[in-house]
Amino acid sequence: MSGKEFFLRRYKELGWAYEEVNLCQAIRINTMNARRERLVKRLKQRGIKLERISYLEEGYWVRSKFSVGATVEYLLGLYSLQEAAAQIPCTLFSGLENKKVLDACAAPGGKTVQLADLMENTGVIVALDTRKRRLTALANQLERCRVRNTVVYNMDARNASELKIKFDRILLDLPCSGNFAADKAWFNRRTLKDVKRNARLQREILTEAVKALSEDGEIVYSTCSLEPEEDELNIDWAVKSLKLEVEEIRCYGQEALTNVFGKRLDSSVSKARRIWPGKTQGFFLCKLKKGELA
Amino acid sequence: MIKLLNDFIRLFNASLMLDQNLVEKRENRYYLLSENLKRFIKKDFLYAGTYLGETRGGTFLPSSIFLSMIAETAKNKTYVDQKTEWLFVCGRDIFKKGVTRVNGSREKDDFTLIMNVHDECIGFGTMTGALNEKGENVAVRNMFDIGDFLRREK
Repeated sequence: MSGKEFFLRRYKELGWAYEEVNLCQAIRINTMNARRERLVKRLKQRGIKLERISYLEEGYWVRSKFSVGATVEYLLGLYSLQEAAAQIPCTLFSGLENKKVLDACAAPGGKTVQLADLMENTGVIVALDTRKRRLTALANQLERCRVRNTVVYNMDARNASELKIKFDRILLDLPCSGNFAADKAWFNRRTLKDVKRNARLQREILTEAVKALSEDGEIVYSTCSLEPEEDELNIDWAVKSLKLEVEEIRCYGQEALTNVFGKRLDSSVSKARRIWPGKTQGFFLCKLKKGELA
Repeated sequence: MIKLLNDFIRLFNASLMLDQNLVEKRENRYYLLSENLKRFIKKDFLYAGTYLGETRGGTFLPSSIFLSMIAETAKNKTYVDQKTEWLFVCGRDIFKKGVTRVNGSREKDDFTLIMNVHDECIGFGTMTGALNEKGENVAVRNMFDIGDFLRREK
């Protein structure tokens, strides 16, 4: 159960007809280090074309003849290269300032930096990941972007409760199967078996996150997978097994599915958002809180 | 432990004061914490708070954040034009013609922070003494620049 035809048939069944995608490069301004108007002016003077992304506060589409990852402004941490859909999850939290935040699968750190930016370097972010190379990339990002409120541990998110901290906000930007828009060889590499294995891992991490969440805390669950096993089906499971409640979110994307391959899901799952690939890669976003029975 | 950092700050004739209680050393790396962050630190952290730099082979290599902190009070600063800024970030030394202004010492072997036209610190170097002489020679030897981020990821 793999191959392009197999997956495209699934997408069609879920209501999306395959189309060629044309990803646009995006940046996010780090407002802790830069004033938006001033930076935009500087980048335009360098010949970089910028267009504001309508659904993001600090996001811009960029077009440039040279790499926007090799400018002085980038090296000074005034902006980050961050895919447009990937800029959404952190913005779904309410009031981040002075909060205790867990970034459970943090590397390579784009969203950790964004969290620090939204927190204005207040409070604390505990960032976890396990792979040495990715942790080095995370440390480099934190240094370049002048993040001051983060502590990083080489730790599996499935052990997060061992930190003995009750977090106000938990970002679960989970390891997932990815999607074809961001990986040309995706259809040749992925099988349904991979998808199911990742979905199991995601449930384990989510279960652990609930243990580490304060009573009125918020979890943002996101993946860049288009596969419902890693998205809607996991949220349906979380609502029923972990007694979590899906919160209303206002962001770019379509209502999540509540009927997946003939299986009817809890109606609250529709409050999550699904982004099919186009100008951005595919993405899934959901905000969760503990229910009364959790 | 903090002496090493204070000695480095003094190289630029700066008055930055670090709180010894908030500086943490992990292996060869130095971090500055806030009081709040300190409560969340366990022994086995990989990175915490503001990364100040590391020692390698007996030499202290500062982070770009630390240099920016020092720049706030440093007297020794060399300002460069936009073309020189990019050459410096690519690891080159600074020629006299690229220098637009010098604050503080111009003496040979003295340390200076390198600042761009936006008053942002892009690295540091040592004076060659050429600014006090005739000719178009190298004025500042590159010791560290923020292009290091690109080079270390290769």
